[in-house]
Amino acid sequence: MKKFIIFTLLFSLAIVGFSVEKGKIEVPLRFDRYYSYDEVNEALKVLNKAFPELTKLEVLGQSEEGRDIYALTINNPKTGDELSKPGVYVDGNIHGNEIQAGEVCLYYANMLLTKYGENEKVTKAVDKNSHYIIPVVNVDGRFHFFEDGNTPSSNRSIRVAKDDDGDGLFDEDAPDDLDGDGSICQMRIKDPFGRYKIDSEDKRILVPVKPGEKGEYSMLGYEGIDNDNDGRINEDAEGYLDPNRNWGFNWMPPYVQRGAGNFPLSGVGLKAIDDYISDRPNIIIGYAFHNTGGMWLRVPAEKSTGIAASDIAAYDVIGKEAEKITPGYVYKPAYDLYPTYGDFDSHLFFIHGIYSFVGELFMRSQETYTVKKEGPKEDELESFMRGTRTERSREQLKFNDNVAQGELYKDWKKFEHPVYGEIEIGGWVKMSSRLPHPFMLPDLVHRNASVVFLSALQTPEISIDVFEVKEIGKNLQQVRVRLQNAKGLPSMSAYSVSSKLYPQDMLTVSGGKVVAGGKISDKRLNKVNYKEKKPEIQFLSVPSYGVVEYQFLIEGKGEITFNYESQKAKNINTSVKL
Amino acid sequence: MIKKLLSYLLLCVLIVSVKQLNAQSEPLFNKYHSGNEVQQILKTLHQNNAAKTQLHNIATSPGGEQITVLEIGSNLDDAPAIFVGANFEGNIPLSTEGALYFAKMLLDSSSYTENIKWFILPLPNPDAAKGFFASVKNNRSVNDFVVNNDMDEATNEDGFDDLNGDGFITQMRVKDLSGTHFVSKNDPRIMVRADAKKGERGEYKMYAEGIDNDEDGKYNEDGEGGINVGIAFPHLFSHKIKEAGIWPGQTPEVYGLLRFIFDRPNIAMAYTLGSSNFCLVPPKGGRRGGANLESIKIPSRYARMLGVDASKTYKMDEVVELMKTIVPAGMEVTPSMVAGFLGLGAAVNPLDDDLKFYTKFSEDYKEYLKAKKFNTETLAPVPAKNGSFELWAYYHLGIPSFSMNLFSVPKVKEEKKKEDGTVSMEDVEKMSADDFSALGEDKIAGFLKANNAPERFTAKGIIEMMKSGRFSPKQMVGMMKNMPKPEKENELSETDKALLAWSEKHWDGKGFTEWEKITHPTLGEVEIGGYVPYLKSTPNQHKIDSLLQVQIPWLMQLSKKLPNILPAKEKVTDLGAGVYKLEIYIENNGYLPYPISMGQRNNQPAPVVVVLEGDIEILEGKNRTPLGNIGGNQVKKLTWLIKADKKTTISAKIDSAVFGNNVKQINIGG
Repeated sequence: MKKFIIFTLLFSLAIVGFSVEKGKIEVPLRFDRYYSYDEVNEALKVLNKAFPELTKLEVLGQSEEGRDIYALTINNPKTGDELSKPGVYVDGNIHGNEIQAGEVCLYYANMLLTKYGENEKVTKAVDKNSHYIIPVVNVDGRFHFFEDGNTPSSNRSIRVAKDDDGDGLFDEDAPDDLDGDGSICQMRIKDPFGRYKIDSEDKRILVPVKPGEKGEYSMLGYEGIDNDNDGRINEDAEGYLDPNRNWGFNWMPPYVQRGAGNFPLSGVGLKAIDDYISDRPNIIIGYAFHNTGGMWLRVPAEKSTGIAASDIAAYDVIGKEAEKITPGYVYKPAYDLYPTYGDFDSHLFFIHGIYSFVGELFMRSQETYTVKKEGPKEDELESFMRGTRTERSREQLKFNDNVAQGELYKDWKKFEHPVYGEIEIGGWVKMSSRLPHPFMLPDLVHRNASVVFLSALQTPEISIDVFEVKEIGKNLQQVRVRLQNAKGLPSMSAYSVSSKLYPQDMLTVSGGKVVAGGKISDKRLNKVNYKEKKPEIQFLSVPSYGVVEYQFLIEGKGEITFNYESQKAKNINTSVKL
Repeated sequence: MIKKLLSYLLLCVLIVSVKQLNAQSEPLFNKYHSGNEVQQILKTLHQNNAAKTQLHNIATSPGGEQITVLEIGSNLDDAPAIFVGANFEGNIPLSTEGALYFAKMLLDSSSYTENIKWFILPLPNPDAAKGFFASVKNNRSVNDFVVNNDMDEATNEDGFDDLNGDGFITQMRVKDLSGTHFVSKNDPRIMVRADAKKGERGEYKMYAEGIDNDEDGKYNEDGEGGINVGIAFPHLFSHKIKEAGIWPGQTPEVYGLLRFIFDRPNIAMAYTLGSSNFCLVPPKGGRRGGANLESIKIPSRYARMLGVDASKTYKMDEVVELMKTIVPAGMEVTPSMVAGFLGLGAAVNPLDDDLKFYTKFSEDYKEYLKAKKFNTETLAPVPAKNGSFELWAYYHLGIPSFSMNLFSVPKVKEEKKKEDGTVSMEDVEKMSADDFSALGEDKIAGFLKANNAPERFTAKGIIEMMKSGRFSPKQMVGMMKNMPKPEKENELSETDKALLAWSEKHWDGKGFTEWEKITHPTLGEVEIGGYVPYLKSTPNQHKIDSLLQVQIPWLMQLSKKLPNILPAKEKVTDLGAGVYKLEIYIENNGYLPYPISMGQRNNQPAPVVVVLEGDIEILEGKNRTPLGNIGGNQVKKLTWLIKADKKTTISAKIDSAVFGNNVKQINIGG
């Protein structure tokens, strides 16, 4: 087999695909290119070096193959300690092949840092929030996606070997890059009894024959040989352990859901990321970028789990804007796509109390080559499952030819296969289909980073105000305090409160003896829900764009301080002299 | 000094054989061992058997204690392994002793470890286990994981308080107009929950012993800890139960053990010593929500894709065939893949074929105990809990999982009031369905009433079920015996009777703290009393040895039921021109199938593969052929068509992570 590959390497002259730019990595970062795993790390180091006061770069753990997983923190220490501010978490590339997700993260970091001090809104977001950025979760996956022959959809897994074909061997029959061009393409063979024939307009396309019609070709699947000599080709590739089915909340074993892994957070890199997030209880919003399809997905990921109306409303504050920032993307609950268990977003929401979104980057329908758009949108899942190409294929190929200068598709070429004999290899290359051509990348990273940015601006901003002081008796004062949230995300999710995920926000009174105190349910009718014990500590959360008001009856005179403490919103206080 | 003494003591013990020890009083098992002592015992067992044992520290508990597995048979390369875990909930110290006893028993005779490797985990929840040795006992089952149960400004600030200073956390009863309980008319010690439907009214509110330390109006709502390791495994895990944690594996004891076990695919059987008893009572079924693979509904969007009717149901085999038409060429479609794709969900009830061996072994076990004159007229073991280790081992590993509770309080023997014309449970058990039905509705109704059958057991309904053959008298009696007995009028419940009698006889009556008045800081006049912790689960230490001596060896018996897979025989047929038909018979000479039914469903047990090696060309068949499923004491034939140009010897090897690599040489040609 080795000999065979060397042979093909020597003789494959026309290497298809756009070259991966190897230019110098410097600030500001460029986004008309893709960064390899090493280059992502280099880019992070460059940003860290250029902005030492605002950034912290750390290795949070290692992957199965021992690669470092980097996290970049953006925080202005002059405006407060990292953990005191609402945290914005963004990661990408949990599936090894979904690489542009990493570029979105890099872009977000690059935007915040290079526009800090120049753009007012950016300056505010950097000063107000802590930003936690992990561009590449599946570091082994990104590494192998660049280094090895792949299809646009292979190398999703983390590197935990699994015996997919039940023969006692692990990961022994992956596809093979027979022609050595860096892509795993399709194989087809001339066959008078085949079920396909050449398309009348574009000879690169195969179309199914009609009943009774003579065929010309049979499809042989992805490029590869029968490495384990079991009569099947490519049936036991890397993994499969889907890193987005391996998280703890509502995890289900692999026989219920393929790729779940043997137990929750069995992936060592994933476990390290969970520990990293656990150590940062200030994170209130989280993004995980994927490809593809153009979607903003929120929890729940399966229908039997419900969430409160107020949490959906908080999601809507961002989701409904996100749809407009990224034209064509659809905002919906994840279960609408298909039910999943043990996904990262559910883990963030149901374990860590973080509002979480999946961003499914890129839509192939953006590869247009037409005068006017019309007709119903192609159902991507259906066309994927059928494995057929429609008229869209012709348009996509024209797009490849005349917009992408032929870099997305490899023309069919003859090849001598050790088992099949003379075949042809061709089709969409690795850097296609789920990935935009680099010329489209700047638009994609900017719009999607803008959604993350919008949600940073929507993290809670709580103000505290003593709005009424009234003497109601000898030495007894009635004091009313208001907490107001100027932004769309509440200080705690309703789920965190109802499930007691972590201590509730607190309003504490010090400096005087609190005789009674409680939440005002109607301030005009003077209705107060008094807390029976310890009235000087009130537990609460501040809703989206909302207010909560408290009344305290305080004995004595002097300076009284009201302290608002929250894990996720910024702590504040105010004082009043009685 | 104490350590030295202990090791000396252990050394003395170890040179005596089990039989002799059984005859004499066993110095090792005459007390309950603390966590530190357990660690010391494990070290000594290892040091004295260094060649064939190994210690694995698999995690550190939140309280800083090591979780240690003793491997026995570390000298064996290819051997199936059995995992033995005990006391996951931390409040059954007897089960820890059971695991240590078993480890010693295995080490005392090399015959036990000739072809089986053992992993013994006596104390997976050491933080909770400290509770038994604490000066104030509260039946603690949670570890030291920091949990703020009441979500306030402090953690672990409102635990139990031993208000009467007796060293036990019992209950408080407080007279209250809105009470939930009243004093039993049969025994003033026993509190009964009032049932409004029966016109009963509560007179007392019940609390666990303690004060409202954090003054939030709630009692004992945020004590020390934690997570209960015994309910924190991934099968039927519930994040809604605070003591399970919020995801399975959140606490390091569980996470470490999950990784340890999955790193060892040769683990083919699991034993759990704790509160359930699969050895005696097969795992229970009847949970809702399980997928029925014979009646699958296909969601409409997939139905469209597959070209089928979404309103109809299909069998698994049919769906597999349908799926084959839409997946890429060469992709294999398996039932577990279909189940995943369609979202059919997890198995929640033991599979029928597996219940067969569970039932068979439980009958054998009853015979075994009878022969040992061991009292089985005891309170029923509890069913395995959701999130427990024993359920997880069965459902997720797909291996036989047996559990044992080593002690139950004996029932109080009821005097038989056999009236004329009525039949006893024992009589009915022996009857055929027809004989029983022939008794007639009146007599059957009388029988059901006399034996406290649940209301849904009506005479008419039972006769119908018997006639249809769905239910036998034996099954019915079995069910009735396993049901909790409701409190009869003018009589205490079976449990109360048994516990009070046990307390009288073996705890000098101190197993129940008599109600005694104290003045409570916030509740005013209260009475403190009730059953003391560990009464139900933990017999006096002088009983440890005799209980283990009878029950633990049964685990040895069960280990002999493991499947054992070997090449049995081969047949070579010369078809001419150097072409041969090769048939190899593979046998499983163990009692259990491989995998068991659950293992077939979840596809988790490692495959057994037959590998052909030699100077031949395989014309038909594969050089690595998965054996697939094989029943107990069954033979399976595999066939190849091969070509050999000259006389040669090839090898047929069993390649398996579980059973070791058995090789057979086969002569071809000549």
